[in-house]
Amino acid sequence: MAEREDRHDRATRRLWPALALPGTFWLIALFLVPIYAVMAVAFSGSINIFGEPQPAWNPLDWKYGTFIDVVQDSVTGPYQEVWIRTGTYCLVALVICVLVGFPVAYYTARLAGKRRGLILALILAPWWINYITRMLAWVNLLQDDGYVNKTLGVFGIAPVAWLSGNSYTVVLALAYGYLPFFIIPLFASLDRIDPRLLEASRDLGSGPTHTFLRVTLPLSKMGLITALVITALPMAGDYYTNTIVSGSPNTNMIGNQIELFLLQGPLKHYGASLVLLLSLVLLFFMAYYLILTQRAGRDAQ
Amino acid sequence: MSFDPTDPAWRPRPRPRPGLSRRNFLRSGLWLGAGIGAAPILSACNNAYPTVQSAGYPLARPSNPVTLPIRDSNPPIDAGLDPETGGDFKILNYDAYMAPGIMKDFGARHGVQVQVTPYSNYDEMLAKIRTPGESFDLVFPGPSVLSKMVYAELLQPLNHSYVPNLKNLWPEYQNPWYDRGARYTVPYTIYGTGVMYRADRVTSIPDNGYDLMWDEEYSGKIYLLDDLSEAIGMSLLRNHISKDINTGDPAFVQQATNSIIDLIGRVNVKTDVSAYSEVPEGTATIHQAWSGDPIAGQYYLPKGETPDVLGYWRPKDPADRVIGSDNIAIPKSAGKPVLSHMMINDLLDNDIALRNFGWNGYQPPLNKLSARYLIDQGYIPENLMSAVVLPEDFDLGLTFYEVTPDVEALWRQFWAEFKAGG
Repeated sequence: MAEREDRHDRATRRLWPALALPGTFWLIALFLVPIYAVMAVAFSGSINIFGEPQPAWNPLDWKYGTFIDVVQDSVTGPYQEVWIRTGTYCLVALVICVLVGFPVAYYTARLAGKRRGLILALILAPWWINYITRMLAWVNLLQDDGYVNKTLGVFGIAPVAWLSGNSYTVVLALAYGYLPFFIIPLFASLDRIDPRLLEASRDLGSGPTHTFLRVTLPLSKMGLITALVITALPMAGDYYTNTIVSGSPNTNMIGNQIELFLLQGPLKHYGASLVLLLSLVLLFFMAYYLILTQRAGRDAQ
Repeated sequence: MSFDPTDPAWRPRPRPRPGLSRRNFLRSGLWLGAGIGAAPILSACNNAYPTVQSAGYPLARPSNPVTLPIRDSNPPIDAGLDPETGGDFKILNYDAYMAPGIMKDFGARHGVQVQVTPYSNYDEMLAKIRTPGESFDLVFPGPSVLSKMVYAELLQPLNHSYVPNLKNLWPEYQNPWYDRGARYTVPYTIYGTGVMYRADRVTSIPDNGYDLMWDEEYSGKIYLLDDLSEAIGMSLLRNHISKDINTGDPAFVQQATNSIIDLIGRVNVKTDVSAYSEVPEGTATIHQAWSGDPIAGQYYLPKGETPDVLGYWRPKDPADRVIGSDNIAIPKSAGKPVLSHMMINDLLDNDIALRNFGWNGYQPPLNKLSARYLIDQGYIPENLMSAVVLPEDFDLGLTFYEVTPDVEALWRQFWAEFKAGG
């Protein structure tokens, strides 16, 4: 009996690492190798005939001049504004996501009843159409003489030059584009809240507002943070939304700056350095998120 | 296609390894400025940089013409070969730069499918032509990228026996300064750079037409060319910073960049290369534009509007005019090099070239298609006469050259500052 259990244990011990293999491979091949390649370019010390950096695969050859310049330019130089702009846009877009997304997720999880499947399908419907196609469609709608301005005209509102390089257009486009990413995890978390807890709260004399603030909100906190993280990460590196609905240097985000260096011209080491810097910044927030989840996990026990 | 800068074959003499940090660029730029003698502003001449060797190969200048090398490893095709048939004939070109009808006819005549892979600037073109395993049969590089493409063996030499129409070209283009003997290229188009505007919305044109770009009256409807040389070069000229539009002086480039950064806050300036459609359609009121844009723009006008709503300004003095040219070349990777030669010959044919001009608005430098001829043929309305490029523009005008990696990196970093929003 004991022997069989022992063998079983050994098999399990081998099974779990084996199951982790695909994930490990995935992480190495699709994360560590590319990040190393980015570092090899960012820290390159020589250029070819096209003026492009020659990747320095050996860390002993790494030169940090470009990276330091990029950090300096980001802290005090010309990119400082781009970073601030990126942060502000993401923050405002996230606030819009919360204001619009939370009620939708809440309604779908708690109040939709039979129509819940339909609503979920509608939330996911934008994903049936390619992101860029949707943005291009908006460009048509937002033209000076487009349908949006025509509709505003019906209510006597003067036409808005949506596409002439405005921050609000970019922020609204970002919020619109990433809203489904926000709603779905939040919905999952709200959906998992045991309705009996809400009933208990009501039985104990709490009104709806109080119940929401003291029960629903704390219980959905992790879901909310997850939704914010999932939305914020791609938003921070987004460049095509901006390119499509604005195209003005006025609204340049850090992703546009990276695109400029990586796709236009040979200064790829500058682009790679910005990629590393952006990764570091996001890693910082990611670490905070992981600490929060861990703490939440401990509290649950 | 790998280029090893350490291979002695590539470098006639050793050069100092270019530093990559921005401070180094600035420093080396200063050194260049000082070393090359009196600031270029004093000598607005073409030979501010005699043979600059730090690119690893000689940089072509009108005062210093270059003969591009033909290596044994990359010979021209033999004479008298039969043209290839069947499959795709792949052209790497700017978008909307060759008349679709010409490509269709060529394809039908030779039994091939002509395909265009578009690019919007040389950076994109270089990226595409260098993609491993990719092959193209025709490409359109200007003088500012030609040498490096030849030295990196991206192009193959021409065999002139397939190109009898070479004789139709302006004499100076049968033997141009950037490619003595037309070894790798024939010219495709010539153009100037100026300012395209809506004549019905712009009431008065200042003496210095570049000032239109700074006019707050047209805020939100002003566009720069999305091309760092053209945009910063225009600022150098408009602000009288330097008449050397290839300057390596960081102070000059900085000053010019600051001035276009000022445009962002002042008029909410935008950048793209679509003046030919945006001005006629009314998206743009003022657009820095190549001379082909207003001519092609006639065909993009909304129904009911006539070409006199279009205007185009270039400096009066030919010595102040920015001019350029694009060439036709055959990539080394070409799968149908005989057909490539035949298409080059076609594009130098007077009738085909005229048809192409009627579509894209860019003049080919052919003797027969003189400015007078094009106007008489009704291709250019009188109000767009300023878009016609004349031979004397090429004797006196300002051209963007291929520059050293340091100078190029300097310009690009300032361009990145502009793109960052200042």
